Amino acid sequence: MQNWIEAFYVIDFISVGILLTAVSMNAVSRLETCVKVYTLNSLLLSLLIAIVATIIGEAHLYAASIITMLGKGILIPLFLWKIVKQMKVTHEVEPYISNTLSLSISGILVAVVYASLKEGIFVTGFAKNVFQISLAVILIGLFIMISRRKAITQIIGLLFMENGLFLAGFSLTFGMPMVIELGVLFDMLMGVIILGFFAVQIRKAFRSSDLDKLTVLKG
Amino acid sequence: METESLFFIGVLCFLSAAALSLLPMPKVRSFNYILSTVGAIIFAATGLNLMTGSPEILFSSPLNSMMDFVYRGDALSGFFVIVISILTCAVSIYSIGYSKDVGRAALMGVLYNVFILSMYAVVLSGNIVTFLISWETMSVVSYFLVTFSRDEKSVKAGLVYAVMTHLGTAFIIAVFMILYKYTGSMDFSGMKEFSARIPLHLKDLIFVFSIIGFGTKAGIIPLHTWLPRAHPAAPSNISALMSGVMIKTGIYGFIRVSMDIVGSGPEWWGMVIVVVGAVSSVLGVMYALMEHDLKRLLAYHSVENIGIILLGVGASMVFMSGGFYKLSAIALIAGLYHTLNHAVFKGLLFLGAGAVLHTAKTRNMEELGGLLKVMPYTGLFFLIGSISICALPPFNGFVSEWLTFQSMLIGFRSSSAISKILLPLCGAALALTGALAAACFVKAFGISFLGMPRSGHAEHAREASFSMKTGMAFLALLCLLFGIFPGAVVSVISPASFLLTGSYGMEASGPGVLRIGETLSALSPLALLVTMVIMSFATMVFIRIAGGKRRTEHRDSWDCGMPALTPRMQYSAAAFTKPIRLIFKKIYMPTREVKISYLLKPFFVKAIEYRGEITPFFEQYIYSPVTDFIHKHAGKIRLLQSGSLHLYLGYILITLIALLVFGT
Repeated sequence: MQNWIEAFYVIDFISVGILLTAVSMNAVSRLETCVKVYTLNSLLLSLLIAIVATIIGEAHLYAASIITMLGKGILIPLFLWKIVKQMKVTHEVEPYISNTLSLSISGILVAVVYASLKEGIFVTGFAKNVFQISLAVILIGLFIMISRRKAITQIIGLLFMENGLFLAGFSLTFGMPMVIELGVLFDMLMGVIILGFFAVQIRKAFRSSDLDKLTVLKG
Repeated sequence: METESLFFIGVLCFLSAAALSLLPMPKVRSFNYILSTVGAIIFAATGLNLMTGSPEILFSSPLNSMMDFVYRGDALSGFFVIVISILTCAVSIYSIGYSKDVGRAALMGVLYNVFILSMYAVVLSGNIVTFLISWETMSVVSYFLVTFSRDEKSVKAGLVYAVMTHLGTAFIIAVFMILYKYTGSMDFSGMKEFSARIPLHLKDLIFVFSIIGFGTKAGIIPLHTWLPRAHPAAPSNISALMSGVMIKTGIYGFIRVSMDIVGSGPEWWGMVIVVVGAVSSVLGVMYALMEHDLKRLLAYHSVENIGIILLGVGASMVFMSGGFYKLSAIALIAGLYHTLNHAVFKGLLFLGAGAVLHTAKTRNMEELGGLLKVMPYTGLFFLIGSISICALPPFNGFVSEWLTFQSMLIGFRSSSAISKILLPLCGAALALTGALAAACFVKAFGISFLGMPRSGHAEHAREASFSMKTGMAFLALLCLLFGIFPGAVVSVISPASFLLTGSYGMEASGPGVLRIGETLSALSPLALLVTMVIMSFATMVFIRIAGGKRRTEHRDSWDCGMPALTPRMQYSAAAFTKPIRLIFKKIYMPTREVKISYLLKPFFVKAIEYRGEITPFFEQYIYSPVTDFIHKHAGKIRLLQSGSLHLYLGYILITLIALLVFGT
C-alpha cells in the first residue's frame, strides 16, 4: 500500500485536486454548484489526511480525517444547501470581476505563492507541494470573498480559507492536537450557522442578498 | 512611620473612597470625600518625609523582563505631593457639600478619587512606563470630568482638551524615546546618570519637545487654548483641582526632564523659558481682563500664573548655565513657591466661583452683583483669594512674586549681555502683569459681589453650606499663613532646590523672615502686616483728632432725578475694562457693533444694541487655519474607508501578498 502511494504520487495528485477545486470556484456562478465544489474540496482534504495517516500510521490522523469528512464534507454543505434554498437565488448575477479575469488572477496568485516560497524552509518529504498549495488556497479563498457580491459566496470563500489553513497546519505539523481540531471545527460550524442567519437577515432587511448594500450603514 | 507604608495607606484611602462612592446608599456615599481628605493628609506626610529624607523607592513590581512598574520619590516629587495634598484636603471637604447637587454622585466620587490618585502617580513615577501610564490615566480621567455635565458645550471643550493633551503626550513620548535610546535606561535616575551620552543637538531637541509636551498640559501661550474651555466646563471642585494642581504636573515634568535628567543646558534654554513665561503672564492676564465669565476669567489667570512660575524656573536655568548656583536656587525657590501659592489661592478662587455658580446658577458676571450681602463668608474668602492673586501683602502671592522680582532683577549679575537685559525686562513684564491682575480682580470681585443684584438668580442666592465654607476657610487661612511665614515655607521647599541646583540659596533666618544675601534684601511680611495695621490705626486716630467731631447722615444715592436706582444703572464689567481695551487695542483688536433703532430719527431712541468683542488672536490666526487644513485633507483619507466590505477584504489580500513577496 505504502509503495503504491509513493509510486503513483497520490499525495501530489490529491493536493493538486484541492487546488483545482479552489481555482474552479472562480468559474462557477450557480450557487448550488459552489456548494458542491466546496464539498468536493473538503472530501479531498479528508482523503489526503487519511492517506497520510496510512503512511505514518498515526491513529489520531484517522480521527481527524473522519471528523473533517463529517463536519466539512457533510454537515456544513447540508446547511449551506438549506440556506441557498431559502435565499431563492440561484445565480451570482454579476461578480465585481468577471469569471475569466478571476481565473487568471487566481492563476497569478498561485504563481506568486510558488515564486515567493521557492526555497521554503518547510520543505520536508510529503509537505513539499502541500504547504504551497495550502497558501494558494487561502489566498484564493480571500479573493473569492472580494470578487463576489452575495453573502453566501462570501461564506464559501471563508470556508475555503479555513480549508487552506487546515491544510497548512497539517502539512507542517502532521495535524494539530485533537482538542484544537475539534475546537476549530466547532467554531466553523457555529460561524457558518451564524453567517447563514445573517445572510438571510440581510436579504430581509435590504431586499437584496448583495453585500454592497451594506455601504449605506456607514456614518 | 515609614514613607513606604504611608504611601500604601494613602493609596488605599483613595481606592476605598472610590469604592465607597459606588455603594447604593447616598448617606454613606458622601463619606468618600472624608476618606479622601484623610488620604490627602497621609500623602502630605509622605511628601514631607520625602522632602527631608533621601530618595527612595515606594513601590516596585516587574511588568516583564524589560520593564518595571516603579514609584519612586525624591525631594522634588515630595514637594509636588505636598502641593497636591494641600489642595486635595480642602477640595475634598468642600466636595462633601458641593457634590450633593451635581448629580451622578457615584460616578463623580469614583472619577474624583481616581483623578487625584493619578496626579500623585504622575509626580511619584520612577520610570518612563509608569510615568506615561499615570500621565495618560490623568488625562483620560480629567477628560471624563470635563465632559461630566454632558451638554454640548462641555463635550466640545472636552474634545479640544483631548486633542491638545494627546498632542502634548506625543511630544513627551518622543522626549522619552530619545532619552532611552541614548542612555539605555528607562529609570529616571538611570537616565540622569548617563545623560552625558546624549549628543548636544539632541539635548536641544529634548528641551524643545519637553516645552511643547509639558507646556501643553501647563497651558503656556500659545498652547493654552484648551484651558479656558476645559476648566469652566468641569464641575467647580474639579476646576479647582485642574487649575490648582493638574497643570502643575506639566511644570513638574518639565523640571524633571530639562533640569533634573538632562542637567543644565546652554543659556538660551533658560532665556526661552523666561520669554515664554513673560508672554504667557502678560497675555494671560490681558485675556482674563476681557472675560466676563467668572470661571473662564480664573482659567486665563492660570495661564498668567503658569507664566510667573516659568519666569522663576527660567531664571533659575539661566543662572545655572552661568554657574551661579546660589542665584539659581533662589530663582527656583521663587518658582516653586509660586507653584504652591497658586495652588492655594487659585483653588480658593475656583471654590468660591463654584459656590457662586452653585447658588446663582450663572457664571456670567453681568448677571451677578450684590452677592456679598447674602453670602458674606464666601465673599470674604473670595476677597482673600483675590488679594493673594494680586500679590498684595500680607498674603502669600506677595511673597512669591517678590521673590520672582528679586530673581529677575539680579539678572544683572548673570554672565551674558543678553540675559542681563532680558531678565530685568521680563521683570518689568511681571510688574505689568501684577497691575493688570489687580485691575482684573477689582472687576471680578466688584462686579460679582458688590452693588445691586443684576438678575433674579443673583437676588435669590444663598450662602454656601458648612462644608463648602470650611474647605474655603482652610485655603484662606493658608493664604495668610504662607504669606506671613515665608521662612518656614522656604525651608520646606529648599531641599527640592538643593536637589536640582546644589545650593540652598537663602540663609535660614527664622520662619517669618526671608533674607537674600546676594542683593542684601530682606522681607518680613509679619513686620509689614504690623506696620500696615498700626499705620491705618494711626491714620484713623489722626483723622479723628484733626478733623474734629462729625456727624454721619445716611441718605439714598443721587439718582439723577430718575424715579429709582435700578441695577442697570450700575457699572458693568464690559464698561469697567473699556479703558484697558482701548489702551491695548493693538493686542485685543476689538470689534464693536452698535445698532440703534429709533422711534423718530434722530432724537427719540427706542433701543440701542451694543456688541463688543475682542479677536481671539491664537484661535483665529493659528488654530483655525490648522484645523481647516486638517479637515480638508482628512476627507481625502476617508476615501480609503468607503464602507465597502469587498474593498476592505482587498486591503487584506494586498497586505498578505506583499508580506509573502517582501517578507523573506
